Amino acid sequence: MKDKFSPYVPRVATLKAKKKLSDFVTLFEFAQDNGKPLAHRPGQFIQLSLFGIGEAPFSITSPPRSDHHHFEIAVRKIGTVTTALHNLEVGAKVGVRGPYGSYFPMHKFVEQDVLFVAGGLGFIPLRSLLNYMLRHRDEYGRIMVLVGTRNPKERIFIDQIEEMKKRTDVEVLETVDSPDETWKGNVGVITTLLPKVKIEPESTYVAMVGPPVMYKFVINECKKIGIDEKRIYVSLERRMKCGLGKCGHCQINGINCCVDGPVFCYTEIASLEEAI
Amino acid sequence: MSNYIVYLEQLEGLFAGWQEKYKLFVPQEKEGFYFLEEYSPEAEISFDYDLLYNPPKSFIFPPREDLIEFDLKTYKSKPLFTVSPQILFGLHPYDIKALNQLDQVMDMGSVDVNYRQRRDNTIIMGLTPLRVCPEAFWGSVNAFNVDFGFDLFWTKIGPATFLVEVGSKKGEELLFVNGRVDKATSAEREVARRKKQEIVSLVQKQNRLKYSWEEVPRVLEKSFDSFLWAEKSRKCLACGSCNLICPTCYCFDILDEVDDKLNKGKRYRTWDGCMLESFAKIAGGHNFRGRAAERYRHRYFRKGKYIYDMLGELGCVGCGRCVRVCTARIANPLEVFNVLWEALSYER
Repeated sequence: MKDKFSPYVPRVATLKAKKKLSDFVTLFEFAQDNGKPLAHRPGQFIQLSLFGIGEAPFSITSPPRSDHHHFEIAVRKIGTVTTALHNLEVGAKVGVRGPYGSYFPMHKFVEQDVLFVAGGLGFIPLRSLLNYMLRHRDEYGRIMVLVGTRNPKERIFIDQIEEMKKRTDVEVLETVDSPDETWKGNVGVITTLLPKVKIEPESTYVAMVGPPVMYKFVINECKKIGIDEKRIYVSLERRMKCGLGKCGHCQINGINCCVDGPVFCYTEIASLEEAI
Repeated sequence: MSNYIVYLEQLEGLFAGWQEKYKLFVPQEKEGFYFLEEYSPEAEISFDYDLLYNPPKSFIFPPREDLIEFDLKTYKSKPLFTVSPQILFGLHPYDIKALNQLDQVMDMGSVDVNYRQRRDNTIIMGLTPLRVCPEAFWGSVNAFNVDFGFDLFWTKIGPATFLVEVGSKKGEELLFVNGRVDKATSAEREVARRKKQEIVSLVQKQNRLKYSWEEVPRVLEKSFDSFLWAEKSRKCLACGSCNLICPTCYCFDILDEVDDKLNKGKRYRTWDGCMLESFAKIAGGHNFRGRAAERYRHRYFRKGKYIYDMLGELGCVGCGRCVRVCTARIANPLEVFNVLWEALSYER
């Protein structure tokens, strides 16, 4: 039978650079061998293949760029695919499917304030949106970034965060849950940062990604400040296998996180018991 | 569509004609259970089977299906489609309904090309049941009759006589493979109608949903926090048998396999089940349905609500396979749907 189209056939990409972000997390830069940009939007994910090992979903951490075909993911070494990925040398090939899923509604954020709430590895998907907005800084109102990490050793993208702290057009606040002797900054869970920023609820959108336990608390705090549920966006992690809305692994009640998400307006999931 | 009469002695000729182009599977008995097995002239066809042990989905959505073939050196890959034309003879209406449902979910959004390819190469021939398995309740979940999803539909109206309804042009052509057959008279059509009616009455008398099937999603909606999920699932062995045996379950996992020289490999999908402990587990160990009660509830919500919300019909066709296969005796959807409804009426 002649070759027919199958969505399961990945495109080939080459590892261009690797950068250690923490003891556990590495930034990987890839370029598609077809020379084309990934054409993703902030919040979307790809299925990355290491043939013989398997496939796993990863958020794209680089901003969309039409001018070159490189893209980045940041990965914690935790399972079979991620361990094999960490063992790759620059120049190695991988397979890429996607981008898949929903994305942050950038058009709604124009001329609005945006509050980023990044818990732990949640900074990875948010960085795509954040860096896109920083590249088009004039189009947006205030950019507020709250970063929470378990402990100083697990901080990622430290260079970028420190650089942003020096800028006047971005407000950055960072905290760790459990400090060590090196840590001089805020201590406490991420919700303790919210009272420290002056937020105008009518003109602020929230973009939030973090561990499952984080969402409920941050959303409650946002609502207390007076931010409308319609202005709260979250990205949810689930076990996407096919990325096509079929395999069932990422189902949240009746919806599929891979096609209906991973980015949701809070109003879309407020009534779903299994969502957050 | 037209109705025809076929006599038992004509079957062998028809089957032989079909086998020139198709693999033909017919219900046959093996050690007290019924299976769709490849036909041979020596085969004894179980026209009166009560339930096929395995769901017919396995012929269109096989337990293992290769998706792509890849080369580890060049990183080139290409899609795999391994399909041969097949006829599934003798499916009961509830099983055809289950396939119709799979057709819909697999075509929805991103079309599942592997499924579609197999489906397009499959001829479905229905058969009016002559017996009902003790666990079945398809009479009360709107699965006793199908208007579409078959190429031919057979009803045994006499000891050696079948009435055959035509469901597609392809089906009619297959019926005429050895020349035309007689048209059915209105009297014969009436006999077939009564035969169908009789078996539906029988299954309805045996096991019955105590309320209209259209109410199931609303009953579930109000029962998300019911005690029943924890109580039943306490006995769950998390074996996933109810998933595998279900004619409408279609969740799958995707895995790689590599040859012994580490040069080439295949990526394939294999049936998976939401009742298995690790089904919703993510990297880092968080499990979104870590408790047995959550997994158990998810399965019934899929059957009774989520699929309904998508398609307007229940994801359970009442075949009774899960009831039969569950060693912990907790997998009876009819019982779950009825108990929840009773609990709600008690609260009222």
